[in-house]
Amino acid sequence: MEKKSLVKKITGSREALLAVILILLFAVITVISPSFLSVRSITDMLKNNAVTMILALGMLCVMLVGGIDISIMSTLALSGMAVGMLLKYGHISNTFLAFVIAIAIGAACGFLVGMVISRADVPPIIATMGFMYVFRAMGYIVSNGGEWAGASALGTFKNFATTKILGLSCVIWVIIFCYIVFFFFMKWTRTGRKIYAVGSNASAAEVSGINVKNIKLMVYMIMGVLAGLGGAIQVSVYASAMPDMQQGGEMDVIAACVIGGVSMSGGRGTVVGALLGSLILATIAKALPLVGIDALAQNTIKGVLILAVVVVNVILQRIADRNALKGREM
Amino acid sequence: MAGKSGRSINNVPESTLKRTVLSWEGILVILVILVNVFCGFFSEYYNLNSLLRQMPVYLAEVFLMIPMAYILILGEIDISVGAIVCLSATMSCIVGNTGAPFIVVVITALAVGTACGFVNGFILTRFQELPPMIVTLATQIIFRGIAEIVLGSGGSISATNTDGFRMIAGKVGNVPYILFLVIIMVVIFAIILGKSTFGRRVYAIGTNRLTAYYSGVHVQKIRLIIYTMMGLFSGICALFLVSTSYGANTTTGNGYEMDAIAMAVFGGILSTGGKGNLAGGAISAFIIVCLRVGLGQRNIHAQVILLILGLLLIGAVALPNIVGQIKRAVKK
Amino acid sequence: MNKKLVSAILCGTMILGAVSPVMASADGKKIALVGKSAGNAFFEIAAASFKETVEAEGGTVDVVYPETATADAQIKVLDNLISQQPDAICIAANDVNALQAKLEEAMDAGIKVSSFDSAPNKDSRQVFVNQAGTVAVGQALMDAVLDITGGEGQWAVLSATSQAANQNAWIDAMKTIMEGDEKYSKLELVEVAYGDDEPQKSTDQTAALLEKYPDLKVICAPTTVGIAAAAKYLQDNGSACKLTGLGLPSEMLEYTGADDEHSCPYFYLWDMQGLGKLSAYATISLVNDEITGAMDETFTAGDLGEFTITEADDGGTEIVLGLPLQFNSDNIEEMAKLY
Repeated sequence: MEKKSLVKKITGSREALLAVILILLFAVITVISPSFLSVRSITDMLKNNAVTMILALGMLCVMLVGGIDISIMSTLALSGMAVGMLLKYGHISNTFLAFVIAIAIGAACGFLVGMVISRADVPPIIATMGFMYVFRAMGYIVSNGGEWAGASALGTFKNFATTKILGLSCVIWVIIFCYIVFFFFMKWTRTGRKIYAVGSNASAAEVSGINVKNIKLMVYMIMGVLAGLGGAIQVSVYASAMPDMQQGGEMDVIAACVIGGVSMSGGRGTVVGALLGSLILATIAKALPLVGIDALAQNTIKGVLILAVVVVNVILQRIADRNALKGREM
Repeated sequence: MAGKSGRSINNVPESTLKRTVLSWEGILVILVILVNVFCGFFSEYYNLNSLLRQMPVYLAEVFLMIPMAYILILGEIDISVGAIVCLSATMSCIVGNTGAPFIVVVITALAVGTACGFVNGFILTRFQELPPMIVTLATQIIFRGIAEIVLGSGGSISATNTDGFRMIAGKVGNVPYILFLVIIMVVIFAIILGKSTFGRRVYAIGTNRLTAYYSGVHVQKIRLIIYTMMGLFSGICALFLVSTSYGANTTTGNGYEMDAIAMAVFGGILSTGGKGNLAGGAISAFIIVCLRVGLGQRNIHAQVILLILGLLLIGAVALPNIVGQIKRAVKK
Repeated sequence: MNKKLVSAILCGTMILGAVSPVMASADGKKIALVGKSAGNAFFEIAAASFKETVEAEGGTVDVVYPETATADAQIKVLDNLISQQPDAICIAANDVNALQAKLEEAMDAGIKVSSFDSAPNKDSRQVFVNQAGTVAVGQALMDAVLDITGGEGQWAVLSATSQAANQNAWIDAMKTIMEGDEKYSKLELVEVAYGDDEPQKSTDQTAALLEKYPDLKVICAPTTVGIAAAAKYLQDNGSACKLTGLGLPSEMLEYTGADDEHSCPYFYLWDMQGLGKLSAYATISLVNDEITGAMDETFTAGDLGEFTITEADDGGTEIVLGLPLQFNSDNIEEMAKLY
């Protein structure tokens, strides 16, 4: 009896299914390439996927209210490029200040996007598609039409990514911090629950006194803030700011969320899901060159794996649902 | 009462003339004229000849807009089209280079496209829970990945047998064949969408899938047909694309999905489904083409052109809504 | 440079009287320079020098970028240019084959077509200005690998995309050189990895190389984004594996040095300003019908001296700028200021 309930618990939870998939992936890769399961390899992986992991949190909020944001990587490029150029030309040198500026730019971008979506009722995909072009172009303008800010131009700012606290890079601490904050925020704060309410049923939320427009504005601002933070992280991790950085990366973030079980129609999804989703993607990216797949075939395999993960998830979910129903019939 | 988006005012009892002019399509037609006047003044090279000469590359993308409009009206999205274009362009070049007759090349391009579209449709109808965006994202990576494998190291192929491609890039006087084909296709598919049972069912699904299902619409069958059609049109686009380049590579068709979506959306097709028509999409496609040609001829920085298009896209959708809101506020 | 030119012209006029010297002049000529994509620091430098040279000769230059680094986007740009009927188009092609239709159309319309940095196929151009001979680049890199490994051991290549034509040519040249000479026999090329010119993917690939081959001695990255990303990863991890390749001095300043602190002892690039200048002169000569792009023609490229058109690997013709330049701890500070 007890055993059954445990099985049920595992198969019934989407996150648990994902965790199983992730563990399977880990196991397979470690068998093929034993060096994968080392502390350095894993910390490398986290650091190299920091941007996707952090932005997945923002995308989670956006998708929870039934929206989508494909402008994030343009926001990231704009804020990252702005910080890079400020550092390059010696206008600022303080790392903390650089982060504040990047986040402020991100917040401003997010505010604009949020206003257009919540106040002018523009469908999110269209508004963010427009801003994707606009912010990217602004990134180019900020870069004087195509300058790069290389490692030597970034002064002490790039040390942020190499500094270690308790053996872990600052970047990884930022990821951990963000995930803990969001875990509590989404689960136990009033505002966090309002996001779920709006996503599940906007009109019901409206009637029960939630200001739907402000919640929508807020989630896009959260997204913007995280994109700004991501911009600073990106520049710091790779010690280089380029106006075309992370172009197309928004799809990875969206894929991470969807793999993590976040519904695209809103209302369903968790922080743990986003974490697992982005970890699965990061693992795939890290493992492909490691397990000795031909370089030309790596992209195809990546696509097949993403498809396989979401399809397997659906099949497992169906089995779980059927089992749940069976229990009820008995 | 005007619809919430302010774009459809079909139910407002007003004079026919005013109704035509004030409808979204009417506004678009006025915009076409304005954009052309603007471009005429802005670029000394902008004239009918240069426009017709530069058009084919853009028109290839308009082919994608047609089925994309159907998909958007379903309330869905397909972001794999650029990759399908890439794969079928690649295959058609390979087949063409073997010396096969051009008709075989055409059939290859269309067959590859259709097969890819069918794969999308099959997965999406077999696993209905999956959001189209993630499935087509995965297939996008896969289709382009297959092209990468096929092209091998070098990632680029030249169409050595260009006779057939030169033929379809031909012109009647100054007017390229592709323009006629685009117009014919738009008209046919606009009529199917607007007047046929099939078209009405597409709207029904986009408005409320469950209701459509319970009123006997074969939702999954229609979805499968439309995604397959998207593939077929990607094949057509690929053919004409090769006719402007005599080659294909792994970046062919990159970003075309976004261009197609932008054209459709700018034309008043709601990405949330159930609304819009092809006429709007076609007119807006021409606005975008004219604007890009006009601005491009003066060598305006590509990013600035994108910035202008981005603002235009947001503005086009936001303005009617804002005007509607102000009107309502004033009435109160 | 301007002074030199002016004095050269003055001297010429004085000596020959009314007969003007055989020197390219671009009075009133309109030349369009098409880049691979906007925001490519690498291209900017050559473009600036191209522009300066043509303007000094009295012509005008429009630098035009496609919206993305694809051939599709360059086709649209070329269409725009054909409408404008400039005297010449000089292009850094995003794809070898896919520009053929438009470049042929341009040449049919009387526009001269030259190219630099990366060439479209031989039917699509009149002449290609090669930054450095393919074999010369391969040789320089191969010798660097030999030197840094100490003569034996494993090494790997971290390239841009698997489709990048330039990179593929250099890698092939390296392989040929390695097989052709006994002194490279103790070197083992373990893998060619592709970082797609994205910092993130390049880092993943670098890490994978180190994990797969713990004894790896040298990574050779013949691409600017790849070399910077790999340099950062190796340096941050204090790896014993060293790096060489092709990169921008300003991007590599932090990582270049002969000691263990730095991940890259030295690397190569060519004279980017010279490349812009030579391309400008070659294009002007085409416009003035002083050359047609056929083999063995010669022309004078200002203070760069005289150049001869030679046969390119693809059967077309090219003008080779010179040998690749080495950047090491001695000259990098100074060069980083330039590019």
